[in-house]
Amino acid sequence: MSAGAAGTAEQRLSAGTAVRVVAGREITVKLRDKAFIGSTIFLLLIVTAATVLPVLLSQQTPRVRVAVQGPAAEQVIELAAELGRDAQVAEDSTPPQVALLGVGGLPGADISSVDVEPGVQIERLLRDEDVSAALVGDSLTDLRMIGLQSVSSELEVLVRAAASELAVAQTAADAGLSAQEVAALTQPAPLTVDLLDARPEGSMPPELLVLIFAFLFYISVLTFGMAIAQSVVEEKQSRVVELLVAGMPVRWLLAGKVVGNTLMAVGQVVVIVGAGVLGATIAGQGQLVRQVVGASGWFVLFFVLGFIMLACLWAVAGSLASRVEDLNSTTVVMQVLVIVPFFAAIFAMEPGPVQEALSYIPFTAPLLMPARIVLGTVEAWEPYVAAGVVLLTAVAFVALGAKLYAGSVLHTSGRLKAAQAWRGAG
Amino acid sequence: MEDVLRVLGVSRTFGPQVALADVSFDVRPGRMTGFIGANGAGKTTAMRIILGVLAPDTGRVELGGRPLTLPMRARFGYMPEERGLYPKMKIAEQLVYLGRVHGLTAATARRRTAELLDRFHLAERSDDLLQTLSLGNQQRVQVAAALVHDPTLLVLDEPFSGLDPLAMDAMGDHLRERAGAGVPVLFSSHQLELVERLCDDVVIIHDGQVVAAGEASGLRAESAGHRIRVRVEPETGGSPDPAAILTGVRGATLHSQQGEVMVIDLADDADDQAVLAAAQRHGTVREFAPVVPTLAEIFREVVR
Repeated sequence: MSAGAAGTAEQRLSAGTAVRVVAGREITVKLRDKAFIGSTIFLLLIVTAATVLPVLLSQQTPRVRVAVQGPAAEQVIELAAELGRDAQVAEDSTPPQVALLGVGGLPGADISSVDVEPGVQIERLLRDEDVSAALVGDSLTDLRMIGLQSVSSELEVLVRAAASELAVAQTAADAGLSAQEVAALTQPAPLTVDLLDARPEGSMPPELLVLIFAFLFYISVLTFGMAIAQSVVEEKQSRVVELLVAGMPVRWLLAGKVVGNTLMAVGQVVVIVGAGVLGATIAGQGQLVRQVVGASGWFVLFFVLGFIMLACLWAVAGSLASRVEDLNSTTVVMQVLVIVPFFAAIFAMEPGPVQEALSYIPFTAPLLMPARIVLGTVEAWEPYVAAGVVLLTAVAFVALGAKLYAGSVLHTSGRLKAAQAWRGAG
Repeated sequence: MEDVLRVLGVSRTFGPQVALADVSFDVRPGRMTGFIGANGAGKTTAMRIILGVLAPDTGRVELGGRPLTLPMRARFGYMPEERGLYPKMKIAEQLVYLGRVHGLTAATARRRTAELLDRFHLAERSDDLLQTLSLGNQQRVQVAAALVHDPTLLVLDEPFSGLDPLAMDAMGDHLRERAGAGVPVLFSSHQLELVERLCDDVVIIHDGQVVAAGEASGLRAESAGHRIRVRVEPETGGSPDPAAILTGVRGATLHSQQGEVMVIDLADDADDQAVLAAAQRHGTVREFAPVVPTLAEIFREVVR
């Protein structure tokens, strides 16, 4: 390179470039970190499993093969099989959760039966796992269901329904009722349910949604906060920080670290939530997707604010240590600052004055204000006020963090107390 | 670019401990300046202040008459005493990163890194993690890190420590070359023979104060004249008797004697010609010359 005027112009480092370069390194290091990749994949698997598995499970109609002995038993199983088939037909148009209980609240099932002559050892058939259950009975009044360890609940419900329907029909016929009257008795007009404030079918309970987001926030802040602290102490321990600080102001370095890790944390959450949304879309839970996407706007905003609020303090926790081994003790306060609000938020899940108050306290607001939005207990202006509170706290903490970080990051011999860092910065 | 780095009246304390007290010296372009002092004398503190890693309590540092600014400092090359690189980062990547931290564009940083790794015979190790390299090679990477942004000033804290003799020669050549290109080079070392061989200028610091500074040859010449070497063949044969010669010569004392050769220390008010006359009365003077002290001797003298 030609040394001289041209070089000087080219080599002027702007704050923006500096932050970008530092953030870029943080991101590259993270993307190559096996622990990070592992944990992301693990969370992805959990989310995918949580959205897709219930659907797959509920769509699977149980198959049962039943041994039947006696005329009443035969009759009952025949009707039970019919009810099981009808319930499945009705399923397609119903959301999965509801479909578990098909028409008239009956579960779908494929029931096949094997007639067994009197005298055949039913126990033998069950033990050989030829059949999964047996129904014995010459009359409706002494029906007996036999199973090995358990009887499939779908089968039990269907058999019960069939038996009582037959019993009612028989009694009614004995009493001399007409065919219509019998039908009215055995198949009463279905109950209609009208909800005034209905939650869309196929959505998850808002409490669960809130819990999932709170958990994601908690995991992210803890892992990426620790990552910031580690990255700071690594530079301190290897003394590379001296080279960096000779090239750029300490504040730019700190900003780069915070920006890089915030991007990674938000990115990870977006990927995970995205995977969940994608999984739910594929699994046909359109309603759930709309619900999650609708709620995630405020969640992401509060997530970013809450993360940045704590990020600089994590950097300070790192800079107070001089070796990686010291991190455990210097980050204790930070861990408490994350864990306590998380549990407070969980225990304050019930709407009420406690929840309302906590949704304005900077540490719990990122968890509870979005929660209240989802639960529908906020006035329109409230999230903006809470976001402002968190933002102001973030600004204060960033300033405090930058000062403490500058005061301690070059102090390489031994652990520091925050007060020493404060004096060091002065 | 041909600017003098000037440290002016810099003081710095750490709590009750005075690290630097009114320290002033120059680092001139195109020259190598050796920075010597005992452990804890204040060398590292002074270097950190030049780099802006530490702030002085009072005093200032100027380059070419202008106080140092961040963009000026960003163009300095620095090698900290305790080596500073990322152990778990590929060496080419960290050089590019450090180049960018010092303001290079990505493309320039990559090109300079490739050039330097090639020069230091590390090209084939580009993608290795730093921690997998031998100590000598890590040291080379550290030098490359100080050079990657084509610095306008080099400040190196103990660049020779831990190097084998060949690596030391190579390092000396690199530094000479940078100085030859007009870059002021300041480096500290405890190897005084090496400083004597490499340096044009010397700054000696002791207990936070500069006790000697200037051209190395000038310093040595200045200290000369206080010690003379005299070889006398006594008329009676055998070795000369210093007591007989020096009796009556004011301010002259024997430092050492080896056969016919005596090394004599002279006090400030002593007259070397009186010593010569006394020696001639004693026998035939074969040799009479001022002793030019080595840097090591000067150092021991001034820090005593």
